[in-house]
Amino acid sequence: MRVVDQTLLFVGLLAAPAAGAAVSLLPRDGVEFIASLASSVAAVVISLFIFGSGATGAFGPFYSDGLSRIMAITISSVFFTSVAYSSFYVKRIKEPLVRFRWYYSLLDLFAFTMLMATTVDDLGFVWIAIEATTVTSALLVALERERTSVEAAWRYTLIVSAGLVSSLLSVIFVYFSQGTLLISDLTGRQMGAGLLMPLAVGFALVGYGTKAGIAPMHSWLPDAHSEAPSPVSAMFSGILLPTSIYALVRTFNLLQGSASFEAMKNLLIGFGIFTALLAAIIMGHQRNYKRMLAYSSMENMGIILVGFALGGIGAIGAAVQIVAHAFAKSSAFYGAGNILVAFESKSMAKVQGVAARLKFSGHLFALSCLAVTGAPPFGVFVGEFMIVSQAVSVGNLALALLLAVVYTYGFIGLNRQSVRMIFGQSNPGPESGGEPSGPAPGTLPSSENWVSVAIPFANLVVALVIGVYMSPLLLQAAQWLGH
Amino acid sequence: MILSALYLQSQTFVDPTIRAAAAQSLILAALFVVLFLQSGAADLLYLAAITAGIRGVLIPVVMLYQVRRFKHSLRESGTGQRVPSLVIVGVILVIAGYALFKTALLPTLSNPSVSVPFVLVLLSFLLIVTRRNALTQMTGFLEEENAVLYAGALIAPSIPLLIEFAVVLDILGVVLVGVILSATRDVLRTLESPELEQLTG
Repeated sequence: MRVVDQTLLFVGLLAAPAAGAAVSLLPRDGVEFIASLASSVAAVVISLFIFGSGATGAFGPFYSDGLSRIMAITISSVFFTSVAYSSFYVKRIKEPLVRFRWYYSLLDLFAFTMLMATTVDDLGFVWIAIEATTVTSALLVALERERTSVEAAWRYTLIVSAGLVSSLLSVIFVYFSQGTLLISDLTGRQMGAGLLMPLAVGFALVGYGTKAGIAPMHSWLPDAHSEAPSPVSAMFSGILLPTSIYALVRTFNLLQGSASFEAMKNLLIGFGIFTALLAAIIMGHQRNYKRMLAYSSMENMGIILVGFALGGIGAIGAAVQIVAHAFAKSSAFYGAGNILVAFESKSMAKVQGVAARLKFSGHLFALSCLAVTGAPPFGVFVGEFMIVSQAVSVGNLALALLLAVVYTYGFIGLNRQSVRMIFGQSNPGPESGGEPSGPAPGTLPSSENWVSVAIPFANLVVALVIGVYMSPLLLQAAQWLGH
Repeated sequence: MILSALYLQSQTFVDPTIRAAAAQSLILAALFVVLFLQSGAADLLYLAAITAGIRGVLIPVVMLYQVRRFKHSLRESGTGQRVPSLVIVGVILVIAGYALFKTALLPTLSNPSVSVPFVLVLLSFLLIVTRRNALTQMTGFLEEENAVLYAGALIAPSIPLLIEFAVVLDILGVVLVGVILSATRDVLRTLESPELEQLTG
């Protein structure tokens, strides 16, 4: 494909959500949903074209390789499903912080900033776009206008902003060291033995790592994920965290072939495995099911970081896990949204016997939990398997063992809780002396409809297809790795 | 710059903290003008204008408006005993930070002036982590932003997008104080973090 065509595709990819954001603000009822849905469909179609073109290199102000193409299609897809699911979820919010037209507009801008971060050819613009994701998503976290959601929004914005300022230092150091910020110029360049580039990676780890939920900078993550509306939680977990990992990996990969590469690789592996272990341990002891899913996202990001740092087949596994996790986790959050609408509680103690009341959503939620914790044959399993295989093949058996512990502990911790919640005995009502578990059967608000079931189902199917048939993705990722 | 940071650290009332952060931004704007006169890079002049206008005037004015909405002078709860020890920690951080910069970074950066923003970043983290009032935490964010932009201007004055970086950070600052903080005040009726502890686990 000619350079100008490829550039136009990227322009279209960014123009779609930008136009959706502008049209959503028109003062006409219903236009906001239609505009956002149309823009998200356009983004999916364009990202499919970009994915199919397979072009690598700089195209005007954009940069395209296997990783950026995978990110673009993942972001567009989860953006589309979140907009569609919003039509079911947000009208049930009684007293929203902002009008719905602003909600949809901000959702579009949120997607725009993530797409920009993963497609531009300039590390400075990558930083600007990631910083802008905070601006566009802060209000979305507080949409439900509850004490906890407003508190979560404040914590999210302050902690993430303070962290991201560190990654600006990383950008400054890269420029001071190399005299350019263009990814296409920097890729493959010999970095020498100075201290500046390792420092840049270190500051990127602190800054982008904060946004990706890497421990110990993760304290905002469980709060924001659990308090945001479910479609927003799905976007946070499925695509925002990987977008930050993308920026970190871009900076880290500049060190390839330099003297400090091994040291920084071990640093990233250390932070990644620590994050995954911590999240796997905490996850099984949560009392709030959305918070439990948030820790599962943290666990996945830790594993993905380990995969990218290991390189080789581990990096391909990390790319596969990014896509599979995005679809599976968004399915889990949509399922959690259905449960929240029906039971009006996020407490697992009050939400028992879900499958008896929400037949489809209950089963979908349980399956999604299996998918995100790496149950075969879902895509997350394939990604995790490839990462542990790379650890074994490079002879790092201690890391392979730690990964196995994380997989096992996380799998048992999350699924034990979700099975109890979905298939456990419903609590008896207050008349029989027990704690009520949400509204009585037959008096539920409309808690399932075809939209609320079809969207998580479709995402779960994609997560499954990635696991069973993943050759195109493998090829794309391998191209990015230069094999 | 460092004295203004230590002054920020020493305050228990919120109003003077905000005014000190504003003063720090104005000092930084003046430093950008001096750097412009030395290097002739026009970007530094724009940066001075943005720093003075947004972080020196606009954001502090909005923050002081938030304070006035409480109709009394805000004092952080529990800071009376902690502040003197925090100032001592701040002074130790300045000395330790400078020593660390001299050993680890100076040989590579070869510009001793960068030690000032380096130490300022450490002090801003201290302010954000140790304070409970959302407005004081916000002054910590402003201080961190001042420090990093100052570092950028000293290390690589020709870096592209420096103005854009400042604008994005300032937009974030405006969103933080103008929108999120307003929502926090309206819904929670407080800006003290002991009240902001609903989320655990």
